[in-house]
Amino acid sequence: MNFDFSDEQQMLREQARRFLSETSTFHALRERIAQGALIDHELWRQVAELGWLAVAIPEEQGGLGLGALELCVLAEEFGRSLAPVPFHGTVFLGAELLKRCQVPEAAIWLSRIASGEAIIAAQPTLRWDSVSLHLDSGVVTGNCEPLAYAAQAHAAILPVLQAGQPALVLVDLEQQPLPSRGARSLDDVVPYAVLELDQTPVVVLAEGEAAQRAMRQVVDQDAILTAFEQIGGADAACQLARDYALERHTFGRPIGSYQAVKHKLADMAVKIELARSNAYFGAWAMYAGENADRSLAAAASRLSATTAFEYAARECIHLHGGIGYTWEADCHFFYKRSRLLAVILGQPGAWVDQLLADTSLNQLQIR
Amino acid sequence: MDFNDSPSEAEFRGQVRTWLDTHAKDFMSSSDHTDVISFIAKAKTWQAKKAREGYAAIRWPKAEGGLDGTPMQEVIFQDEEARYDVPVGPFVTIGTQLAVPTLRTHGTPEQIEQFTQPTLQGELLWCQLFSEPSAGSDLANVRTRAVKDGGDWVINGQKVWTSWAHVADWGILLARTDPEATKHKGLTFFVVDMRSVGIEVRPIQQISGVSEFNEVFLTDLRIPDRYRIGAVGDGWKCAMTTLMNERVNVGGESQALPNVLELIERAQDQSSGASLDRFKMAQLLTQEMGLRYFRFRLLTSLSKGETPGPIAAMSKLVYANTLQELSAMALDVTGLQKLQAEGDKFQHGYEWAAALRIAGGTDEILRNQIAERVLGMPGEIRVDKNIPFSQCR
Repeated sequence: MNFDFSDEQQMLREQARRFLSETSTFHALRERIAQGALIDHELWRQVAELGWLAVAIPEEQGGLGLGALELCVLAEEFGRSLAPVPFHGTVFLGAELLKRCQVPEAAIWLSRIASGEAIIAAQPTLRWDSVSLHLDSGVVTGNCEPLAYAAQAHAAILPVLQAGQPALVLVDLEQQPLPSRGARSLDDVVPYAVLELDQTPVVVLAEGEAAQRAMRQVVDQDAILTAFEQIGGADAACQLARDYALERHTFGRPIGSYQAVKHKLADMAVKIELARSNAYFGAWAMYAGENADRSLAAAASRLSATTAFEYAARECIHLHGGIGYTWEADCHFFYKRSRLLAVILGQPGAWVDQLLADTSLNQLQIR
Repeated sequence: MDFNDSPSEAEFRGQVRTWLDTHAKDFMSSSDHTDVISFIAKAKTWQAKKAREGYAAIRWPKAEGGLDGTPMQEVIFQDEEARYDVPVGPFVTIGTQLAVPTLRTHGTPEQIEQFTQPTLQGELLWCQLFSEPSAGSDLANVRTRAVKDGGDWVINGQKVWTSWAHVADWGILLARTDPEATKHKGLTFFVVDMRSVGIEVRPIQQISGVSEFNEVFLTDLRIPDRYRIGAVGDGWKCAMTTLMNERVNVGGESQALPNVLELIERAQDQSSGASLDRFKMAQLLTQEMGLRYFRFRLLTSLSKGETPGPIAAMSKLVYANTLQELSAMALDVTGLQKLQAEGDKFQHGYEWAAALRIAGGTDEILRNQIAERVLGMPGEIRVDKNIPFSQCR
């Protein structure tokens, strides 16, 4: 039995944890929000230098040619640190979608991502029937959904409909600067904006079934990677709550000595371990599983990581008492991030359906 | 990352499978407990058969009948053995997993000699006389008294939740020898011949109607001093050895209890169109899956030669609560329609879950353990800590 990350992957984790804890502090986050400077470009440059943008990009495009498991490790550490860089959209969505598209432009953008030149804003979708962008004769019209870092990105990858059929397109935002409307984000750290397309020329990355398949795979995979982000965040929130429960005294005792408090902390730890275990299944499925496994693993990872992070983030504020509701305490970062990550991939009900509908459920009995 | 055995694990599993394939079939369909006597006889023979191959105590040294094996090998054997309906259970494992390891740590050479091999060979069945009506989660609150009288100890008191007391040959007993010492200091550990005069075993009727446990009344029971294990007053230390030696506990799934997949099947079978809380069902399924993959993570650390950390306590906590919820939900699905004379799996699950949330560490004790040992939270305040037991309430 070897249901764990390898020593090299653990080393990557330690490196990432150390680096991000030093470079991305809550204090710096607060200042950044106050200044409205929501990307830490210096950090982004270093992230590129460390090769993290390139881990899962093929070597032909300047990547490291490693895979899904390295992405899982990084996702957890970005989730823990809440680092203000557009890693998720660029790497988990942008690069992964591009990897599944055959047009020459895809390879070009992949090498730009690998080298740190390109930030990507991408719109995942579970429901093509709700897509409101339309492609006709190479141009797209309509408003995209609110996208993370849309106003800062070099390119946007969007699902569109072309005569009712799915397609994936890329808008080069340097060539075609688009008007964007800022949206108030659930999370102060991550800026969101809606791009307004009006007869905008695009690169068609994939059409029809190929587009649908690429999106389906990337959404499932993103559910798993997001689960790792959520677990990182949940773990950090749990640690924050734990430290405070040891330090804060009421009625002459640390609040962590009351069962009402310590049992909540135990429940956090339990939910995190369950989520982590399902996410490991997700990691395995991304790396080695069949399609059926991936779909099931994605749903299980997503649902249990959302549960864990929501619980940890809410109770983290609660265990801090009034101080937890202040801007100066760090709890709100997790409280808001947990809500954001809970809604980025469609309704929870869709994942419930995916979990329960999955035909591979029957195989579980053996495994 | 994979679910595969290492080459040496695969080799061991292969050996175990071959051996079980050859030998287990003569011992199957043991779940018919109606004839306890022949069931026990069969269990003893099965144990003897395993002992000849070293499978009865895999982690023991070869010279003493084990295989010098690893915890992982023990789990592999348990998993493979569980595929056959052979007579294993607490009446066998209390001896090799709890009693004898305690003796081997704290007993005299004579005591080790007398009990080790007969237990391994299945000749002796054991029961555990620890819990009492007022000593459950707070085990050190044992009130059963042991008073020295010449070369004997005279025991008076009551034990409870004793599995297989009515068929056991020997018991391990925790009793209070010094009520003036503090709670944990006044205890002493004994082994007792269950056929002695002064032992009365009464089955406890459980909420399921079945009796799997007993109360054991000890009245002027005499135990020769040579059956005292460890020093007088060292009983708690011995009992801790016992509890630390509980079998490599990494969970595993029971065929007898329902799971979420069966709940889903039942929900799909229902033509009544009963509306179900799909979110709740999904939550239960993710818990069940999480436990399965958590177990694989525990096995991975065992396989690497590590000891699973204190978070392992969560398995039973989550399992028992999941079982209770899923069983109740399945009964919701069918309502009164599926009530049968013999009851069904979910009814059994619903009843047993209530016991499971208590046995082997209540939900609350497990949460304390996780909070204290995993997260470093302060321990409970113990108001009876430094006062003589006789003055405790």
